[in-house]
Amino acid sequence: MLPAAIMMDQQTVSAIQGFLGSQAKCVTSIEAGLVRDWVKTSRILVLVQNNNEHGLLVFVSSKPNVTSTADLSVEKAFPINEHFKCEIDTSGIDVFAGADVYVKVTYQKQKLLFELPFSPRTNTFVAEVTRAAEASSLRVGPPPSFTWLQAYVPLNVPHTLWFDLSDDNVSHHSVGSTSLKSGLAFDDNFSELMTSDNWPSNTELKKSDSQESDLDNSENFGNIPRQSIAMGATPLAARESVVKLQMTMREEDYTDLQNFRVFIGTWNVNGQAPIISLEDWLAPKSDLLPPDLYVIGFQELDLSKEAFLFNDTPREEEWLHAVSNALHPEAEYKKVKLVRLIGMMLIIFVQVKHVDCIQNVAAETVGTGIMGKMGNKGGVAVRFDLHSTSVCFINCHLAAHVEEFERRNQDYSDICARLVFNQFKPPKFIKDHQQIYWLGDMNYRIMDLDTDQVKGLIDKQCYPTLLEHDQLTIQHGFKRVFVGCIEGPVRFPPTYKYDPGTNDWDSSEKNRPPAWCDRILWKGEHISQLCYRSHPSLMISDHKPVSSVFEVGIKVVDNIKYRKIYEEVMKKLDKLENEFLPQVTVDKMEVHFERVTFIEPVSRFLTIANTGQVPVQFEFIKKLNDTRYCKDWLNIKPYMSFIMPGEKCDVELEVYVDKRTAFKLNSKQDTLDDILVLHLEGGKDLFITVQGAYIPSCFGSSLDALVRMPFPIREVPTAKLIDLETHPKEIKAKEPPFEIPKELWLLIDHLFKYGLTKEDLFQQPGLHQEIQQVLEKLDTGKPEHMPGSVNSVAEALLLFLEALADSVVPTIFYQRCLDCSNNFILCKQVIFQLPQVHRNVFLYIMYFLKELLHHSAYNKLDPNLLATVFGSILLRAPPNDDLDINLPGVRRNQQLADRKKATFVYHFLMNDW
Amino acid sequence: MSREYDHLFKLLIIGDSGVGKSSLLLRFADNTFSGNYITTIGVDFKIRTIEVEGELVKLQIWDTAGQERFRTITSTYYRGTHGVIVVYDVTNGESFANVKRWLHEIEQNCDVVNRILVGNKNDDPDRKVVLTEDSQRFADQMGIQLFETSAKENINVEKMFNAITKMVLNTKKEQKERQQQNRESTVKLQRGSQRGKKKCC
Repeated sequence: MLPAAIMMDQQTVSAIQGFLGSQAKCVTSIEAGLVRDWVKTSRILVLVQNNNEHGLLVFVSSKPNVTSTADLSVEKAFPINEHFKCEIDTSGIDVFAGADVYVKVTYQKQKLLFELPFSPRTNTFVAEVTRAAEASSLRVGPPPSFTWLQAYVPLNVPHTLWFDLSDDNVSHHSVGSTSLKSGLAFDDNFSELMTSDNWPSNTELKKSDSQESDLDNSENFGNIPRQSIAMGATPLAARESVVKLQMTMREEDYTDLQNFRVFIGTWNVNGQAPIISLEDWLAPKSDLLPPDLYVIGFQELDLSKEAFLFNDTPREEEWLHAVSNALHPEAEYKKVKLVRLIGMMLIIFVQVKHVDCIQNVAAETVGTGIMGKMGNKGGVAVRFDLHSTSVCFINCHLAAHVEEFERRNQDYSDICARLVFNQFKPPKFIKDHQQIYWLGDMNYRIMDLDTDQVKGLIDKQCYPTLLEHDQLTIQHGFKRVFVGCIEGPVRFPPTYKYDPGTNDWDSSEKNRPPAWCDRILWKGEHISQLCYRSHPSLMISDHKPVSSVFEVGIKVVDNIKYRKIYEEVMKKLDKLENEFLPQVTVDKMEVHFERVTFIEPVSRFLTIANTGQVPVQFEFIKKLNDTRYCKDWLNIKPYMSFIMPGEKCDVELEVYVDKRTAFKLNSKQDTLDDILVLHLEGGKDLFITVQGAYIPSCFGSSLDALVRMPFPIREVPTAKLIDLETHPKEIKAKEPPFEIPKELWLLIDHLFKYGLTKEDLFQQPGLHQEIQQVLEKLDTGKPEHMPGSVNSVAEALLLFLEALADSVVPTIFYQRCLDCSNNFILCKQVIFQLPQVHRNVFLYIMYFLKELLHHSAYNKLDPNLLATVFGSILLRAPPNDDLDINLPGVRRNQQLADRKKATFVYHFLMNDW
Repeated sequence: MSREYDHLFKLLIIGDSGVGKSSLLLRFADNTFSGNYITTIGVDFKIRTIEVEGELVKLQIWDTAGQERFRTITSTYYRGTHGVIVVYDVTNGESFANVKRWLHEIEQNCDVVNRILVGNKNDDPDRKVVLTEDSQRFADQMGIQLFETSAKENINVEKMFNAITKMVLNTKKEQKERQQQNRESTVKLQRGSQRGKKKCC
């Protein structure tokens, strides 16, 4: 699908016209996808006109949106002449699903396949091109030179991708350049001249032309314009298009021509009943071989009023019967189709052995008689596919009277225009068939000679001389009728008009000159006429029957070969599809973080390189039931991104253990291990293993464990740590547990000694580095003086309390505390019900805070502030309150809870207990 | 000719690390073999279109990491799978012993799925330790079709993939038929009840 193709903006159109200059006019243009080998690239097709000559230019644009003439360059130029063909193929598409159609442009041996949206615009474009082609075929005189078109042909196009073309190289600068050598015969080699040999497409096309297998030619894949794909300019063509292209290009490889003998007969029976045998006409003794196909047309089957008014006649059955009885005795035949419009009837028989080879049979009729509509004149047609060749037979009866030859031409045109097989999508016209046969009473007469002269020439069998006066020969020569059709040499006497029952010329008063009214013409490839004759022995009508036997090459698909090639194409497509899957390499699949400590971020880097053919979008994705794509202590930046082919992306993995994650790591409920799933959009997943060692800290431990550690935490063996954290009270120790953790005592003692009078304590932040030093000291138990400023120690204290596995007032008491926060007695009761260590710690802190308030003259602290700071730390809400804090209601509740926490602590600061 | 495919099936290759899962896939999809062993760390897929019983089947074949530590993650990729190929290495008894675990893994993670058992690296009789009769007996016991393949020598690979595809295709057809029958009986029922209603009125 080409969304941009629906509309072509004014800018593009004027750029095209600017490119063309005054030499030629842009008739119509459309964007199309050129399907070449395996990729679809964008092109602009332009139908150009210079006087009466047309050409088709294939433009490449250097920009997605053409804004100026400089953006355009011509890739190919096709003169629209007898070698040019443009076909639209909608077979197998669902026209309602907004599918694409394929337009095949053929010039001699070159074939280009374009993909266009199924839209009115596409139809219009193809119709215009077809009209131009028809106009060219109607032209008489010497073949046009197309010199004007040659001026647009690129000559010095470098062998690069189109979007790399700098302005200097754009081919249109070569318009009218010196390379236009005179005297070049470009009749047969036009296509060669019209394109630059340097174009990759051209060389590729040549390969296909010479029937070299593109499929085995792996260098074609190497040439896929990776960058342009990356830019989104040339996506891999739809598989369907590629299969189509490949199968079309290689049609000759899997189709054989099988010869069929086709008998075509036509007879104006002048309303007579078949009272004689038709064998002399349909199976004369001279025809030794039985035809494979019989195509028999009648005119004036019934001249009665009833037949005209009701289109109903007993003659149909009678003549069908007569025909059936007269077919070649050496073969068995089956009727394929019979179609009749008043007096015109067409019957087709096929040898029984070929019945299965005929498909999509359809019949249509067109009347061109009275009022231009009635069925006394016109045509009846049958079409079908014989193996892989589409054939159409038209039995016609054109306007009568000597002087009415223009009316006859018109009847022919009307039949061509109005005879449509509507059951196909899109509908098929006569011209849409590979082999077309016209037969019938065409009514063309002999002009400018009187009856005696004509009869004299007939007697001497001077048919060539007579044919010079034959209206059909003349009109055909002028391309007024049966354009593109061929008639074999006429070597039989005129078939009209005889006295019925005799072989004598019409003896009536009118004394008309005889004429070759009854004719057979054809159009298409692989058709050779074996004979063209009349049958004078059949005398019941004033016309003689005419017949012709053809040897016709029919395309028969060799199923074994077809399958083999189809499979080859499929296999190659699969391989290509696999090659076009996103591919990356990651420099390491395992990331090690050797030593990670509390609140000390550690980073490692991954390099993801796009080693594939297409842009890659990667993302680290969640696995199983995880809520996040990695553990909480890990951060990935960026966790999703986009990498162009050949480019790289560095991804930072940062481990940061803070108060949220420390406890689980301390207690070994979690370890620094994770497997990350790196997902490539539309492709594979890679597993990246993250490993690290977490160094335990008193930060993130539980009070119960800490009071049972006589040594610094680093000196406690891991197994003991796990025990301490999981079931501290069951551990038997020589010494009783501490009243409060020694770390807390060290922190508060330091503040007591050096910070009582410090202004803005707990308000000035500490330094991260100093806090880490404090932490290190507490964990290792080095006996020196507490490092850093008082503020850093104060913040370390807050951090220590925040990181505790459970808050000082355990979370199970949280709600009760809030509920009784306005009543000091109740608050006190809660505190005295806390587990002993927790109570000790709470009261210890309260003592300390009260002491601080005694020095408020110096440190400027006030109880409200301290209550607020410590209330939020000492009272912690139970986990899993994952409510979004940004919701208005939640925020209000949060504020209320914060106030209650502060009130709770405030009581203890202001009262004695 | 214009149709892209009649069916799209997802196949999964599982089995111990190093039994040749990726090699089987590479042989089938690209018809290549590389002696260099590269552990698959993740899940990868390739596609291949084949014709089975006159129908065009596009296969999306997923190759999984066999390492134990990825077991829980890879199990999430079983979803939506039509057929599972369980691979062991005929020169490695342990990998055969582990087949049971892999079959269990399938049961845990898939509803209805076609399975096939594949003994790979079947190209050197001297190194073969898992005897065909043993694996065949086991396969019969479990009701699974057994194939002994060699990705290296391209023995039986195509055949094996064709077999599992055929199984999946048949399962799909049977399901469709059953659905159709169900629908038909539903229609009949509905008609019957409508008639009943009319009588009531």
